Amino acid sequence: MNARPLRKGAFLAIAASGALALTACGGGGFNNNNSGTQPSKTGPVKLTVMIGSSGDAETSAVKAAAAAWAAKSGNTVEVIAAQDLGQQLGQAFASSAPPDLFYTDASRIGTYAKAGNLFAYGDQVKDAGFVDSLVKAFTYDGKFYCAPKDSSTLALQINTGLWTKAGLTDADIPKDWAGLEAVAKKLTSGTVTGLVIGNDINRSGAFMRQAGGWVVNSSGAMSATDAGNLQGLQEVQKLMKDGVLKFNTQTTPSTGWGGEAFGKQLAAMTIEGNWIAGGMKDYPDVKYKVVELPAGPAGKGTLMFTNCWGIAAKSPNQAAAVDLVKSLITPEQQMKFADAFGVMPSTTEGLKQFAAKFPDSAAFVAGAEYGTGPVNLAGLDDVINKFNSQLATLTGTAGDPAAWLADLQKNGTAALAG
Amino acid sequence: MTKNASPLRRFLTYGALVLFAVVFLYPFFIQIATSFKSDADAANSAISLIPNPFSGQAWSTLFGGGSKSVAFPTWLKNSVVIALIVTVARVFFDSLAGYALSRLRFKGRGFVFAALLAVMAVPGVALLIPKFLMVNYLGIYDTYTAMILPLIVDAAGVFIMKQFFDSVPVSIEEAARMDGASIFRTFWSVVLPMARPALITLTILSFQGSWNEFSHFLVVTKGTPEHQTLVTGLASLTSGQLGAGTQYPLKLTAALLTTIPVAVLFFSLQRYFIRGANEGGVKG
Amino acid sequence: MSDISDAAVPAVDRPHDSRASRTSARRTARFGGGLRGPEGIMGWLFVSPLVLILGLFLVIPIAMALWVSLTNWNGSANPFGGGQGAEFVGIKNYSDLFFKDGLTRANFMQSISNTFWYVIAVVPLQTVISLALALLVNAKFLKARSFFRTAFYFPSVTSSIAISTVFLFLFGGGVINGFLKLIGVTGPNWFNDDRGLVHLLFNAVGVDNPSWGKAEIFGRSLWDWLSGPSVAMSVIIILVVWTTSGTFMLMFIASLQDLPVEVDEAAALDGTTNRQRLRYVTIPMIKPTIFLVLTLGLIGTWQVFDQIYVMGGGNPNGTTLSPAYLSYKQSFANFKYGSGAAMAFVVFAIIIVLTSVQRWVLTDKDDRKPLFGRRRKGASA
Repeated sequence: MNARPLRKGAFLAIAASGALALTACGGGGFNNNNSGTQPSKTGPVKLTVMIGSSGDAETSAVKAAAAAWAAKSGNTVEVIAAQDLGQQLGQAFASSAPPDLFYTDASRIGTYAKAGNLFAYGDQVKDAGFVDSLVKAFTYDGKFYCAPKDSSTLALQINTGLWTKAGLTDADIPKDWAGLEAVAKKLTSGTVTGLVIGNDINRSGAFMRQAGGWVVNSSGAMSATDAGNLQGLQEVQKLMKDGVLKFNTQTTPSTGWGGEAFGKQLAAMTIEGNWIAGGMKDYPDVKYKVVELPAGPAGKGTLMFTNCWGIAAKSPNQAAAVDLVKSLITPEQQMKFADAFGVMPSTTEGLKQFAAKFPDSAAFVAGAEYGTGPVNLAGLDDVINKFNSQLATLTGTAGDPAAWLADLQKNGTAALAG
Repeated sequence: MTKNASPLRRFLTYGALVLFAVVFLYPFFIQIATSFKSDADAANSAISLIPNPFSGQAWSTLFGGGSKSVAFPTWLKNSVVIALIVTVARVFFDSLAGYALSRLRFKGRGFVFAALLAVMAVPGVALLIPKFLMVNYLGIYDTYTAMILPLIVDAAGVFIMKQFFDSVPVSIEEAARMDGASIFRTFWSVVLPMARPALITLTILSFQGSWNEFSHFLVVTKGTPEHQTLVTGLASLTSGQLGAGTQYPLKLTAALLTTIPVAVLFFSLQRYFIRGANEGGVKG
Repeated sequence: MSDISDAAVPAVDRPHDSRASRTSARRTARFGGGLRGPEGIMGWLFVSPLVLILGLFLVIPIAMALWVSLTNWNGSANPFGGGQGAEFVGIKNYSDLFFKDGLTRANFMQSISNTFWYVIAVVPLQTVISLALALLVNAKFLKARSFFRTAFYFPSVTSSIAISTVFLFLFGGGVINGFLKLIGVTGPNWFNDDRGLVHLLFNAVGVDNPSWGKAEIFGRSLWDWLSGPSVAMSVIIILVVWTTSGTFMLMFIASLQDLPVEVDEAAALDGTTNRQRLRYVTIPMIKPTIFLVLTLGLIGTWQVFDQIYVMGGGNPNGTTLSPAYLSYKQSFANFKYGSGAAMAFVVFAIIIVLTSVQRWVLTDKDDRKPLFGRRRKGASA
């Protein structure tokens, strides 16, 4: 028998098996440490930062800020812009090596904190002078988890060209729902719809707030069946029935978000947040201005969105990560972010500087006074998703907001109990 | 069915075929046309097959121009590297195992074959979480190893090869073995060359499978561009988060580029593809 | 999840399979004789990559997932440690899917209902269309046969994600509605229309949520169960039928070409019409292929995932949720890995049960054999 080929074949097979055996020996990708505090490594470390970026402007700004800290502290930082932050974080948390630092949306705080994914370092940064409502947004179960990164509020954007063309003046800027209806009607003509908004609670919810409702009350119980919520959604439906309000998915052709419909001039008005500034860079020809949302029967109301700098409970570099965060929340750095992509600083001091520097964004700053933060209770995001999925089917003639709110109440109550 | 079918019958048959052909091919033509349209044109004259104005914007964005960051070159590199490695490994390991199951007498062969059949019956849907668990357990989450290793052997490919070897007369190997060639030598220099048609079929199936793979990559990586392929990258682009806008020309161009390699392979090796589907389906 | 062309692969077979392997086995044994030892070692060496990879990434992981489905693992702790965040909860995850009132059960039951209607629509459609295509392409007088065959098969080889992207544009970007407008029809807002097709039929005859529909089955009203696929789901149905018909067409062509010409000619001489021949001669003779196509269709459709992931992830109003997608979301987005794994195993069970039932129902009595015996028999007839 010719032995060489035998050995060759055997070698190949053994090599393949051996490679597997080796990887198998390296097992134990799960660790048992669930305490949230890790022994910090000493010496220079490499931090991984995962962000959900609104675009190149934001990514480059965060990279620059992280690089500045890295140069000063002698560590290295890798910034990754996630495509779908929620999903990617979910998988990463279950793996042995989640990113050290990451954007955490306020609506996810409860879910992440409850699962033990977050390192609560709020105490180490609480002296930075954060806006109160933001601290509240990132407090779960009495613990302040992470430093608010920035904030945004919803306001009304008006296409000034179409506005003038419809014969409207500054005096017509809507102060209440009746005013909104009136201008929306005037602005609707041809392919242009008066107002186009996103199809979930993050836009329609503003109407719910203006009617005095909200999904949860101040004591953390479900309040979806409160009258204000239904009233707000009925207003949306009424405008839809008049043909002067559409969801972004209902325009022809359909659009990805309100800003796109606004930029493509399918909408004369939209309701978006600070990020509209970045979005409108794609449509430099569209001139617009930003005003506060009209008040509803219960007064002014808007929604506030915010992310914090979450630090992973499993991160071995928590001390370095906290240090990096401290460098990212200084008013100077936050103003740099504001310059780059329009978000508002999370500290009162920063907010003051922002208002002074960007008078055009005054409506956003004003909204921060009375804005409502997202629901941040554990397990509710799934319930809200269900509600959004129902809400998206609303049209002027179809859809049963009362039934959806009842579902929301029922599912939410069950989720909070379980 | 007879050769001298009536003219009406011929007309109806051709009519139906042409209609079906239009339905099956139009989406691809509109895809190509739209990739050269501007966003506005794609929205306003969606059904037109002629871009007006002609725009290379989507293409230049994918290859590094423009403002939107799409890590397209990285996706492309990952797709190519992974598909090539998986294909080569699969063809080798599948034929190795297929040959052993067909020809070599060893204890436990029946058991291995029965297990193989059982494994083929496991629906992929049940494997998402399991794969994630194991990859995590091995500490190879979000690595090329995790993307490639689980794919380098597939039960169906082994089965195809076993069936093929079963159908080949054993006499030539016998002659080689009588001449004193070792088992691996016989396999490598006598059997594999004879198996060329089956190997080509397997190569095509493997390449197509790994190039188009989605859910496996989805659960074993973090989804950062570093480890995204064309398919997973396209999925994140398409199902992108709010704020991305519709960008149909960009998405359709990315989809087109994802399709092209398989399309080229398909049109150049068509007869093997068809054979592959038949072997995959009914009989050879 | 795999599209159908993957699913098709397992059924490989050759007419002379069993005979050939028996012969070769005997011969190998004969001349192998003294080489039995090396053959034993080499045999295991040759199959070792197969055994290791499938063991490591398929068999053991399934066992791990079974364990996880019995815990309340939240993705943070060690799932096998049994500590906080990974407690053993017995069959709670399974029983909750069926008996605990709440969003999880509502979503799961909706996903089952959606998929049920999806299967009901896709499997017959793809079988009929692929058979029709095969008969057309197989017409004896046909020129340009290979062109048509290629055109119909091409969608099958492309990526499900790429095709879904194209369909998002076709239906969401105004192409289909543009064509409908040409013939004076206003198309629906496809991806945002949650109305069920069967509900629409009921509405057309004046029935809307009648009192007999109030009865609840697993927390979902009978009326909801009867909704039919939503308009949004119909797009996915069209997409899947369109992509899979080519593969199945090839299977039908192969079996049509295998029909003995004499039978056909004899039937023709008897003066039968084409339709009679199709019904009494052709169809009965390709019955095994029809079984195969139905089975593969049934297995493939229950697993729909890729298309759902890209085309709306359950929207509108949960009407495109599939169990596979829900299981993924429940695990990786809601951190309820135990519940997500339980869903996957329930679907696994559904597929096994349905295919067995189908085999049993569609098989001649004397042919009834276990899973794989049947497939091979059917394939080689």
